[in-house]
Amino acid sequence: MAEISQDEASVVIIGSGAGGGTLAYELTRAGIPVVVLEAGPHLRNEDYMNLEWEAFNQMAWLDPRTTSGSWRIATDFPNLPAWVVKAVGGTTTHWSGATPRFRAHEFRTRSVYGRVEGANLLDWPITLEDLAPYYDRAEKAMGSTHRHGRPPLPANNNYKVLAGGAEKVGYRHYATGPYATNAEPYDGRPASIQDGFNFQGDKNRSKWSTLVRELPRAQETGLLDLRPESQAVQITHGKDGRVDAVIYLDSEGNLHRQAAQVVCVAGNSIETPRLLLMSASSLFPDGLANSSGQVGRNYMRHTTGSVYARFEKEVRMYRGETMAGLIADEARHDPSRGFVGGYYLQMISLGPAFLASFIEPGAWGREFTELMDAYARTAGLWIVGEDMPQESNRVTLNSTVQDRYGLPVPDVHFDDHPNDVAMREHAYAQSDRVYEAVGALGTHHTPPYPSTHNLGTSRMSERPEDGVTDRWGRTHDVPNLFVSDGSLFTTGAAANPTLTIVALAIRQAEYLVDKLRTGGL
Amino acid sequence: MGYPEKYPAKYPQLNEMEFTDTARRILIRILRVAFPHEGFPDGPYERQADQIFELANESTWFRIKLTQGIATLNDLAGGSFLGLDDQSATKVLKHVEHTDFFGFIRRTTILNMYEDEAVWEVLGYEGPSFDRGGYLDRGFNDLDWLPDPRVEESDEPFVEVVSDLPVPSRAAPGADQPTGEAAQASHPGLASTTADQNLTEDN
Ligand SMILES: Cc1cc2nc3c(=O)[nH]c(=O)nc-3n(C[C@H](O)[C@H](O)[C@H](O)COP(=O)(O)OP(=O)(O)OC[C@H]3O[C@@H](n4cnc5c(N)ncnc54)[C@H](O)[C@@H]3O)c2cc1C
Repeated sequence: MAEISQDEASVVIIGSGAGGGTLAYELTRAGIPVVVLEAGPHLRNEDYMNLEWEAFNQMAWLDPRTTSGSWRIATDFPNLPAWVVKAVGGTTTHWSGATPRFRAHEFRTRSVYGRVEGANLLDWPITLEDLAPYYDRAEKAMGSTHRHGRPPLPANNNYKVLAGGAEKVGYRHYATGPYATNAEPYDGRPASIQDGFNFQGDKNRSKWSTLVRELPRAQETGLLDLRPESQAVQITHGKDGRVDAVIYLDSEGNLHRQAAQVVCVAGNSIETPRLLLMSASSLFPDGLANSSGQVGRNYMRHTTGSVYARFEKEVRMYRGETMAGLIADEARHDPSRGFVGGYYLQMISLGPAFLASFIEPGAWGREFTELMDAYARTAGLWIVGEDMPQESNRVTLNSTVQDRYGLPVPDVHFDDHPNDVAMREHAYAQSDRVYEAVGALGTHHTPPYPSTHNLGTSRMSERPEDGVTDRWGRTHDVPNLFVSDGSLFTTGAAANPTLTIVALAIRQAEYLVDKLRTGGL
Repeated sequence: MGYPEKYPAKYPQLNEMEFTDTARRILIRILRVAFPHEGFPDGPYERQADQIFELANESTWFRIKLTQGIATLNDLAGGSFLGLDDQSATKVLKHVEHTDFFGFIRRTTILNMYEDEAVWEVLGYEGPSFDRGGYLDRGFNDLDWLPDPRVEESDEPFVEVVSDLPVPSRAAPGADQPTGEAAQASHPGLASTTADQNLTEDN
């Protein structure tokens, strides 16, 4: 592993998840030395646990956050707006693996959907054609099943129920993927043993994450200086308005300064705007790269929800891959349904510990215990659909609540848009139809979990006044500052975001390599 | 003499709660009524009650709320909460449902009681599986009351946009001008074609 001096102005990446980890690999393999600052510890696959809460406490970002707005999270989990990881590999260690691509029209929602009251829709500054070659590379890197010759995963019990119901209600576009977990050995990692614990890190390494692929390979180049337990707290700049260093905390709370030639922020969609806002200065009074006022705004989390259905006979949904199965038929734009945009229905399973906490927060008594008593006979799915970007859905600094270092915590404000509500209701009803078609005795509509998909808070835009970065993720205001994670999303699409985050990071790396070589920064 | 440091001594039950058998029995009864699982043995409920007492010992606020809450339950029950049948006991808990007292018990129980092996056994959950080779050879696909479904993607075409809106065709591949199209779509005439969506306004 490289040791880069703190005085050497280098490429500094903040965060080692989907965006940051990918970028680190692509840059180092092109010969560029990189410092990666990662707030969390370096956990390894053998450290992971097959217990839901213990694994959560080991991996999750637990630093305090606050919430506001009308979303139920603000009542049920007021200090846990998001379910994300603080460890090397970021949330790719927690994620499950669904990797659908965006559809062409989802890059052009303002044009295709028209004007939607209260929504801050904007076309992306790039198109599907621009991203398609990078999608190919991302799918190969991540080993997505059903793509580039990778075989599908077999049907597990939960999938049999979902697909059986889908077929009966006339859906056609269901399959066990694309899903970035090996059905057979691939890329030096083994096939899935269907242990059902990929949310808990996946001890078996069959699931793609930057922990198992990009970061070790970047280390092999000898050009990566990976610093775990190093939390960036400020990006500084010179008189010329170019960023010149990152100030970060080590595990003992000591501050360090790493000089920077280029800074790429990939802290996920809550910490990225928090860091930009904490880096405000007299030159950038509203936060770094925030002349548009859009830093922290347009926070999206996908329109989600779960449906758990009870059957007469056993399902045992927890056996096998957690989310290897989806129905894509509703992931289309069809305003006759009463909303714009579309959604996927994806199978999901939780163990009793998580199910008890999330199936109906606040519930108790027989209504609750009947759901739990049916555990072995329960099948589950997760709704994931496009939500509307809204200016008022926003990450801000909470000036009254501080973390243990005295830094302002991020406040996450969120209200559903009427389009989000209409979509969720439609998805609940369709899910009921799917499960009833195969004999469900009853279904339960579970509200959205703390956000696993966090998007949009530093969005790409063609014009500097509409967003924070250009089509490469380079901030409009600061030429050597980049955003490299899901914050870039101009709009959210129906698809799970990680494949697109990885594709964008590969594309950004190419641009950066070129600019670093030609001196265009 | 009422000095502040004597405060706890004036309320001995606050400090002794962890030792009273009655308090423990009441708490177990609360748990049984609030989380009624016929199949659960006593163990999980007892362990849960003990954990709640442990947490109460660490937090003054919880401790006084727990003591006060248990006393209130007896009042609401007209004497003894332990003497109530399930239905009446549930009614009493409904009364206190929104108190810190009940909220703390509920949250703590939800977060802990279901990560307990005795509970898993009754619910039919098998717990950690990696060390046992996962479920690859232990029934990950043993459901036999439905046909084996297709796992490949369908060959049927997928219609991405179903809309009465004229979908703007791209001027030329690579001519990437979203702002132009956005301006076009916000034209009143065009947006009004979707006014029936109830979500789109034409101005
Ligand atoms: C349970 C679960 C299931 C999921 N399933 C799917 C799925 O099936 N498909 C899909 O596409 N997506 C899924 N996701 C979402 C996916 O994990 C995220 O979209 C993705 O990891 C986000 O990438 P990122 O680079 O934006 O951030 P992350 O991967 O979260 O990485 C950010 C990293 O930055 C670090 N960091 C933050 N702030 C700082 C700082 N100031 N200094 C230093 N380091 C910092 C964090 O510790 C973290 O390691 C799932 C998520 C969860 C929680």
